[in-house]
Amino acid sequence: MELSDIQIIERTLGGETDAFNLLVRRWERQIYGLTLRMLGRDEEAKDATQETFLSAYRNLSKFRGEAKFSSWIYRIALNICNTRLRSRAKFTLSLDEQREMSGFELAADTDDLGSGIQQEQITRHVRRALQGLPPEMRQVIIMKEYEGLKFSEIAEVLGIPISTVKTRMYTGLSELRKRLSHLREAV
Amino acid sequence: MSNGQKTPECNMHEALVSYLYNEATADERVSVEGHLTRCAACKEELNSFERVRGMLQQWQLDDLPVVRVVAERASIDRSLLTVLKELLSVTPIWAKALGAVAMSVLVLAVLGTDVRVGKDGVSFHADLFRRGQAASPVAGSNVELPTANIEQVRAEVKGLVNQLIAESERQQRDDLKAQLVSLESQLNNMHSADLSKLATRIQEQQARLRTIERDIDRREGLDLTDILFSEVSRPGERSTTGGSD
Repeated sequence: MELSDIQIIERTLGGETDAFNLLVRRWERQIYGLTLRMLGRDEEAKDATQETFLSAYRNLSKFRGEAKFSSWIYRIALNICNTRLRSRAKFTLSLDEQREMSGFELAADTDDLGSGIQQEQITRHVRRALQGLPPEMRQVIIMKEYEGLKFSEIAEVLGIPISTVKTRMYTGLSELRKRLSHLREAV
Repeated sequence: MSNGQKTPECNMHEALVSYLYNEATADERVSVEGHLTRCAACKEELNSFERVRGMLQQWQLDDLPVVRVVAERASIDRSLLTVLKELLSVTPIWAKALGAVAMSVLVLAVLGTDVRVGKDGVSFHADLFRRGQAASPVAGSNVELPTANIEQVRAEVKGLVNQLIAESERQQRDDLKAQLVSLESQLNNMHSADLSKLATRIQEQQARLRTIERDIDRREGLDLTDILFSEVSRPGERSTTGGSD
């Protein structure tokens, strides 16, 4: 029978060194997905994932089990991502990234928009469009679309009302609709 | 149905989002579905959100990072056993040999072996070899073991000591190996932050390089355009000139 997250935490705190690896294996894909889509950079996302699990391990004794472990570790990962996003100096961003971060429309790469548009190209546009959203909208969309969390769970992770989550979701989707409108005919 | 313009009735964003993700309550569902039959703008908005969701799903993960946390544990809280192992790993070989000899003496004592050093050399008296005789020997009746037996006991003790030393050395090697692995993991973890910073700096520099390259390409493109235009305009100029001639 598969151990629950709480049981694994208890074993880890009880001195079973390897038990925490079970939690890592269980949640690394989700956490990496979250950090990658939040940060938009592969290597930085890998570092943030590592940092998330290390932080979770170091603070494991502070986890009281009132919320789900997934909510707790998602919150840690988002805090790490937000810290990294804040520390990104403007001058270190490429011109495209600066344009996206400041909310300008993403320029359509007209060569891509033929009938034979590839998934890789769509992914690139989606990636850029997501990066252009403010982090508070981006994180809601990522947790909903890619992590499959319910609105109540997202509200728990972020510590905000469900109505705020839904409003951010609506605004974020509206913004993405504008930013991805040039792909509509191509897809 | 409305003519594609939003009305105050359309102010149902939360319900619309809940409906989009199948999290609407029964009341919300009825309300949204009723509104969608009357409002083309909201219906189109819902359809466009579904298209956006389809595009978002195109971005899937390719690979996973290698996350290592447990190695960190060794440096956070060392158990008593770990501390003991570390202590053994730094103990010199002579100390281990001494310990092995002490242990063998203890074993001999448990077996009831009496070791005496006299004029005839070292003599061993073991209760183990005197089964069947009185449990407590009479004082002064020191029964000497045959030479063959003494040699056998010596060989056994020597073998035991050698075995303990070999075991100790093997343990030392294993511990050293484990310590090296642990040390490597700890070093990796300690430097992960530095590596992360370095990787970020490299990415940043690469991004700046790409920007510079794009700028150069753009400038070269402009120059090429100027050349092309000048090439195209020259024949025209010539023909005009030729015509006038």
